[in-house]
Amino acid sequence: MKYKISMFLLIMIFAVSAFAQEKITGLQVMEKVYNRDTGNDMEANLTMTLVNSRGEKRIREIKQFLRDFGKVEKKIMFFIKPADVRNTSFMNWSYDDENKDDDQWIYLPALKKVKRISSDSKSDYFMGSDFTYDDLGDRKPADDIHKILREEKLNGEDCYVIESTPKDEEYMYSKTITWVIKDKWIGLKKEFYDEDGDFLKTLNIEKYDKIKGFWIILKTKMVNKQKNHQTVMELSNVKINVGIPKNKFTERMMKRGLK
Amino acid sequence: MKRFISILTVLFVVAGLQAQGLSLTGYARNYTGVLLNGDNEFSIIQNTFNLNVEQSKDKVAFKVNPYMYQYSNQDLEIGLREAYLDIFFESVDLRIGKQQIIWGKADGVFITDIVSPKDLTEFLLRDFDEIRMGVTSLKADYYMGDNTFELVWIPRFTATMFPPEGSIWRPAMPAFPVQPVIDHSREDVQASLENSEAFAKYSALTEYIDFELMAGYAWDDDPTMHVVKQMDMSNPQHPVLTGITVFPEHHRLTIGGGSFSTTLGPFVVRGEGAYYQGKYFNTTDPMVKEAVVEKDYLHYLLGLDYTLLDWHLSGQFIQQAILDYDEAIDNDEYSNMATFLATKDFLNETLNVSFFMYYDINNEASLIRPKLTYDLADGFSVLLGANIFTGTEGMFGQFDDNDMVYTQLKYSF
Repeated sequence: MKYKISMFLLIMIFAVSAFAQEKITGLQVMEKVYNRDTGNDMEANLTMTLVNSRGEKRIREIKQFLRDFGKVEKKIMFFIKPADVRNTSFMNWSYDDENKDDDQWIYLPALKKVKRISSDSKSDYFMGSDFTYDDLGDRKPADDIHKILREEKLNGEDCYVIESTPKDEEYMYSKTITWVIKDKWIGLKKEFYDEDGDFLKTLNIEKYDKIKGFWIILKTKMVNKQKNHQTVMELSNVKINVGIPKNKFTERMMKRGLK
Repeated sequence: MKRFISILTVLFVVAGLQAQGLSLTGYARNYTGVLLNGDNEFSIIQNTFNLNVEQSKDKVAFKVNPYMYQYSNQDLEIGLREAYLDIFFESVDLRIGKQQIIWGKADGVFITDIVSPKDLTEFLLRDFDEIRMGVTSLKADYYMGDNTFELVWIPRFTATMFPPEGSIWRPAMPAFPVQPVIDHSREDVQASLENSEAFAKYSALTEYIDFELMAGYAWDDDPTMHVVKQMDMSNPQHPVLTGITVFPEHHRLTIGGGSFSTTLGPFVVRGEGAYYQGKYFNTTDPMVKEAVVEKDYLHYLLGLDYTLLDWHLSGQFIQQAILDYDEAIDNDEYSNMATFLATKDFLNETLNVSFFMYYDINNEASLIRPKLTYDLADGFSVLLGANIFTGTEGMFGQFDDNDMVYTQLKYSF
């Protein structure tokens, strides 16, 4: 009898766990990617290499600081290269409340003024790169409808393949397809389709590593097939949980720069 | 020649110091403009070298910003736009020396932004960091979270810099029945403690709104033109005007104002306003001494920024209202102006198209500034632009003959 009960329980446990695995939705996968823990704070150097159709390179260098304050995540970026944008800084406050838009400011050294800017244009490309602000991780999972297309291996990693279609029909992408590594919740590859449904660009994660116990994406490459233009984005000198002070994310620091 | 050698010496010394961790940045620029008034005269041929020398060590920093303007038909102009020292404490920053101080939320309009005087040598056409003159001052900022309290003390007053005699940007003098004599004897404000300027500002940057509240005890950067008439009174029944002397003179101004900026859906809404006490206006009332009256006035603005199809659009409406108005005053009781900006980047931000316009509603006159900027390489840009003046009167209309096209080549390092 005991044997029968044990067998029954075992079967139930398998069934429940199998059911639970089946049950994960596309939205849950994308939320896990969006909410992947990357520490309380991070500072890093960001280098973007833009390559046009003629193979000409342009380099952008940024020093960025990020800190999670609970209900709000604050990010500040100091532009180092090219020379004509040096000392420009950009600050973003992103709220957990999905109904609240991000607050953004830019400091332009020529004007010596911190200007509030609208965060509405997340489809804008970041510093002439192939990444929009949304592509850089600002887009909230709830803005799209997600569907698991299949599960497959990519670069030796078990992945969910998720199709995301925007709730807003006017959005710049008609759909994206993301390969998400199952146990790490990293989007390893992403394909973007334009408003007309035509293939636009591919994002590939070329390097990621565990730093202080957190999976951090270190190198990505976005190739825009339509424009024949690409951007390689690399993080270096990554420091996690170093205790970045609260006052790093203020108007004072935007104006002071990296002094 | 000696001057040139000393500049070169300074540059070599500075270059040598770079090895010691000094940051050297700046730009070299060629700026060539042609007037469109029929004769195709050059309005400007200018070569500029602008250098920022900076260093910071933990709690201290300094910056020196020498610049040189070289013209084909004028003497070499050399100056220091800024030269200051910074001391950073836990929640207080001190900046001492020649510095540009910019306040307010308005773009291209000066309402609460009155701490640094303007260099109008080339009217409003230069870049804003070149229009702003550094002033030797002590600036103290106290920070409390996202709140800032700022105090500025300027020991010696600096006036607006106007274009020299003969410049095409020299503002038109009012019409007088006889040729006036300009007497500058009353223009200087003596450097003394009593004559210093003081400003205070409280500002905050929050998740809902950014705002500034300010007050200032200053001098009017623009001199008032006191007009003294010489009359021949040999026939008291029929006095005859024999001469006019104009005395430019600066007056004390007390200013209180504020500004804000917030987002409203996809819009950024900006506002700015100030109350000016002690401004002098010219009047045609013959009974008024020296043809000037003191009147307070309000100056305010409402602006809206919006992005449509990747075009960044911005509009501002500005009004100046003279209080307790008197019909004889030369200025209108309400002066209305608007600005409009549209700008868009193309080709992965290597090409920028921009269109900016000031529109003087009272005089139906404008300044229209289309620009095309192309980055040939990182930090090297080519700019093609035009400055078109329309109308015949007022701040912009008076320069109707100065329409120009120009190019700027700029190498930033």
